[in-house]
Amino acid sequence: MKKLIFLAFFISLFGYSAGENKCGELEKCFSFESSVHDRDSLQRGLGIYKNYCSSCHTLRYLRWNRLQRDLDIPETVLIDDLISNENIKTSDFVTFGLPEISPIGAPDLTLRTRVRGDDWIYTYLQTFYQDTSQATGSNNLVYPGTAMAHVLIGLQGTQELDSNGKLIRLSKGALEPEEFDSAMKDLVNFLAYASEPARIERERNGIYIILFFVVFTAVMWLLYREYK
Amino acid sequence: MASKNSLMSWIDRRLPVTENLERHLTKHPVPSKVNFFYLFGALLMVVFMIQVITGIWLMMFYTNTEEGAFASVEYIMRDVEYGWLMRYMHSTGASAFFFLMYFHMFRGLLYGSYQKPKELVWLFGCFLLFLLMAEGFLGYVLPWGQMSYWAANVILSLFGAIPFIGESLQVWIQGDYVLSGATLSRFFALHVVVVPLLMIALVVFHIFALHEVGAGNPEGVDIEKYRDKTGMPLDGKPFHPYKTFGALPAIGIFFIVFFAIVYYAPTGGGYFIEKPNFEEANFLKTPEHIAPVWYYAPFYSILRAVTFGIPFLGITSKFLGFIIFAASIAILFIVPWLDRSKVQSIRYKGIFSKIAMIMFATSFITLGYLGTKPVNEIRTLIAQICTIFYFLPFILMPIYTKYEKTLEVPDRL
Repeated sequence: MKKLIFLAFFISLFGYSAGENKCGELEKCFSFESSVHDRDSLQRGLGIYKNYCSSCHTLRYLRWNRLQRDLDIPETVLIDDLISNENIKTSDFVTFGLPEISPIGAPDLTLRTRVRGDDWIYTYLQTFYQDTSQATGSNNLVYPGTAMAHVLIGLQGTQELDSNGKLIRLSKGALEPEEFDSAMKDLVNFLAYASEPARIERERNGIYIILFFVVFTAVMWLLYREYK
Repeated sequence: MASKNSLMSWIDRRLPVTENLERHLTKHPVPSKVNFFYLFGALLMVVFMIQVITGIWLMMFYTNTEEGAFASVEYIMRDVEYGWLMRYMHSTGASAFFFLMYFHMFRGLLYGSYQKPKELVWLFGCFLLFLLMAEGFLGYVLPWGQMSYWAANVILSLFGAIPFIGESLQVWIQGDYVLSGATLSRFFALHVVVVPLLMIALVVFHIFALHEVGAGNPEGVDIEKYRDKTGMPLDGKPFHPYKTFGALPAIGIFFIVFFAIVYYAPTGGGYFIEKPNFEEANFLKTPEHIAPVWYYAPFYSILRAVTFGIPFLGITSKFLGFIIFAASIAILFIVPWLDRSKVQSIRYKGIFSKIAMIMFATSFITLGYLGTKPVNEIRTLIAQICTIFYFLPFILMPIYTKYEKTLEVPDRL
């Protein structure tokens, strides 16, 4: 019984959240937990990153050949379509020749999901709205006054805040709302992968390590009983 | 066998291997009946080894410069084979170290493992806690993330709060007027050489002192009183194989939990590795909320709970906070001389000792919870009350342990 109490206490430690829950203007971020085990999703996410993010944001700690290996990208596709620059080697980082410190202040995205959390990034990408008072013409609920423009406007369509502070759609984008939502999930999955490529292997193999120690404990228990 | 024995006797004449193995392992008597609280010491040894081994591997790839530190940690996480495993084992190991240490010490408080003649065992243990806290702090700076930088700033500024010598002391420790690469490289040296060496020495002292006075038990019975013909206490068993094999299943269970965290929750929900630490240190950008890792949270709470100074003595609230924070650790050192009880174990102590232990444990956990949260008025008030409750059991200990009614301790286990 005492052991159970201690176990319960230990588990309850994880129940506390590290910061406050508030998500910018929102009470709470939309909840989303990334998964790095769906390769198709990661590849689609890479596509969105390449088409919409990579002109400003780097992935300074991720190498092209790591990406190739983990996402199962054919070499020709990697070199011709993704890198498409003969001066860049496949062992280089995914920076597209952008400088280390972005002149427009766009942060490096490699570890962004680890700094902000999946929920935050996912919600941030969904909650851009028209705001003429901003230089970019758009604003964000999660990060009010963000310097980033609504670059996904072509996919999502335009949104506006109503008098209650709720988002309403003004015009359609190239994607239906569900399609856009799933595209953002792909993108966050990809960024989560980029933040920790080893996570694929880690989450896949962990169970075998734990099972090994379950067997180890059982054998050691028998040994212990002999010498009780 | 003959050749082995002659080899052993050859060695034994020159180095007393057999004698010491018998003295500390195969003939060293330990109480036959103890509970799970007595396993934390063995687990601490395991964690210490994990930290040393993974630490050496990390050291091979880590760069201790302001420019290279953060990137080298990502290099370890990505390009070094199983570097991520080494790093997560090391970071989870740090949390495990404190978790086990707190239980190990709480066991000591519950069962009087500091009482005469075990004062030195307890003192060495307290020094180990102090060194572990220093080691954890130094190590946390090394990844050179935002929280490394700003948490270190908070702690180093405490030295700056000491009247008269504070500022120069802080500059001396930092090696610079601000926390910088100079600080990082000396913290690296302290983290990987100085503190671990001291810890190893103290672990040796801790164990030798323990073997001299003998391990305790939850009953507080002196097992040395009754011995059989061979001199082995009737309520004792040789340390090896009985206790060594007894610890193995516990080590197995520990590894199950440990690797479950390493593989499936390595950041511990932001408690083992804090989110802002995935952003490189930036001295122009203070994080919104600077929170310590969970294992410092109780002490950090005590530090923050002191919102007032003593102006006419020139003591600022920050310095007073530092004093009380230091006192919260220092008071543990003198526990052997605060306890005047005739009995060792909480099982035979009176009601006041029991209330005091509950008070201490509750306030410690509450302070820990509050330490990870941003401050507001109510939380500060609760932290202040808990700080008083943290100290009261120790301050009043000489009184209640002397006068409370204790139960009769049995002769045998």
